[in-house]
Amino acid sequence: MAHSTTSRNLPSIPSGNPSGLVSAWADRHFKWLMVAPAALLILALSIYPLLFSLWVDFVNYDFEIPGHAFVGFQNFAQIVDDPLAWESLLTTIILSLTVVAIEFLLGLALALAMVRMFRGRGIVMSILIIPLFISPVIVGQSWALFLQRPFGPADYLLSHLLGHPVAISWIGEVPWVYIAIVIADVWQWTPFVFVILLAGLAAIPPHLYEAAELDGVSTLQTFFYVTLPQMAPIILLAITFRLLDAVRLFDIIFMLTGGGPGTATYTASFYLYQIGFQEFHLSMATAGSWLFLILLSVVIMVLVRRLLRAEAA
Amino acid sequence: MATRSASSKLSMRNLRANLARFLVIGLFVVFVLVPLYWVVITSIKPSSDYLTVPPVWFPAQPTIIHYTAALFSYRGLQGLINSLIVASAATVLSAVMGTMMAYSLARFNTGGQHLAFWVLSQRFLPPVAIILPIFLLFRSWHLYDTHIGLIIAYTFMTLPLSVWMMYAYFRQLPKSLEEAALVDGLSRWQAFRMVAVPLAAPGVAAAAVFVFIAVWTEFFFALILTSRYAFTLPTVFRAFLGFQGAQYGEACALATTSLVPSIILGMLVQRHLVRGLTLGALRG
Repeated sequence: MAHSTTSRNLPSIPSGNPSGLVSAWADRHFKWLMVAPAALLILALSIYPLLFSLWVDFVNYDFEIPGHAFVGFQNFAQIVDDPLAWESLLTTIILSLTVVAIEFLLGLALALAMVRMFRGRGIVMSILIIPLFISPVIVGQSWALFLQRPFGPADYLLSHLLGHPVAISWIGEVPWVYIAIVIADVWQWTPFVFVILLAGLAAIPPHLYEAAELDGVSTLQTFFYVTLPQMAPIILLAITFRLLDAVRLFDIIFMLTGGGPGTATYTASFYLYQIGFQEFHLSMATAGSWLFLILLSVVIMVLVRRLLRAEAA
Repeated sequence: MATRSASSKLSMRNLRANLARFLVIGLFVVFVLVPLYWVVITSIKPSSDYLTVPPVWFPAQPTIIHYTAALFSYRGLQGLINSLIVASAATVLSAVMGTMMAYSLARFNTGGQHLAFWVLSQRFLPPVAIILPIFLLFRSWHLYDTHIGLIIAYTFMTLPLSVWMMYAYFRQLPKSLEEAALVDGLSRWQAFRMVAVPLAAPGVAAAAVFVFIAVWTEFFFALILTSRYAFTLPTVFRAFLGFQGAQYGEACALATTSLVPSIILGMLVQRHLVRGLTLGALRG
């Protein structure tokens, strides 16, 4: 056995010498020493920045102006008074709810279609999950290439499918630009929902279906009274993860639309990036990100706590 | 007679259900592959094939000039090297620190549920909420636009992933071997290092690959925390914003260069995908 040989080869440590004391101390505090490196790094890069930014919220932090004069709630007022802030928030909410809803429906349909075995299922599975391993930047760029005139083939393909000429300005016009963002996001993240729901479907005990079949229950009824209730915790999990990622939508916007046309596709993250890193209103951006974080924390608390409870049950 | 007509009705229903199944699967496979195909094929198209109607679906004279241009004229090679350095280092750090913490959480219930929940909640912290202070911090500590700075940021970013994947893994492993090792006189660290880690090696490897992919594809941190020196591959794509110079081929060549390695790695950990995507909350 591996462990008995290693122990035989180890020199026995006489108690009382300094190294013995150190190792005894290390053994006593072992569980905290193991946690320390990761916990300290997370503290340094999330708690410290959050506290620091809390201070920045209430001063005028500017590279140009020396000193940090206390300004009270002025930074928050600037954000709240900016109509673009509200528009970006609204865009974020509508876009993330839309993409998550579509990704859920498509993911569920795919999972139902893929749950049973067929020849070539392994290869199909490998293809379906490809988007998960691609940088969102590339996804944004690829869809820009695919949709954008005159280069992209999208309008050409649509013209042939529909039988009449199509000339849609996907990136430059509302509402098409929103549809373009939704398509890119759905392309990238439907596989995420699909993979999770498929695992959930596969885990439903077969005897439940057998019982339903014996009772002469229809396919649709089986779906609503057996499949969906059994999957509820997993559906909650998939939607929680997706929603909390969807609200930070940035990369695809950055590459596909640049927030445009005008400011039509500013999301909360993109707006805060513009304010902070393009216009250098550091205090204002920090105040905005705190407000965004507070809004999100409420959602996180509700969803993740419920998730933990569902998992514990 | 009755049974035969019932069974033929059943097989009709089966046929229709199967048709629907394969339609859903087929359409989605096409949806996934068409834009990818377009990108890969554009990367080997001569520029004269860019704007033809109908579009060229396969170039008569494939070329690799866009690859050399993307790598050398657009500093793609530098980005590729930086991405490799940063992703490898962050992967090692995150896997080591994450495995240590996960072991402590799983075996000793360190900090109760709160500590584990706190780590998990970092996964949902939007980067935009903390990036500005990190940016200011990095500037004052001379970590801005350095490999080390980015490695630290990415280790932090991926810790929830490695901690939770390994947390789930350790909870499945029996304690008995480590307990036997302790009885044999090994210290707790030795029991971890010589017994638990070798047993958990497949889990560590899977977590490490997920961390690598996460760093390889990350954009936001790299956009803010680097500029002319430590920039990673995803940030190079800014050169093609709007395609004003019609650098379609270069953009696609760079995209292909970046996506091939991460897709190959992804296929290697396909078996662990569910655990990777849900941070171990679900077993695949």
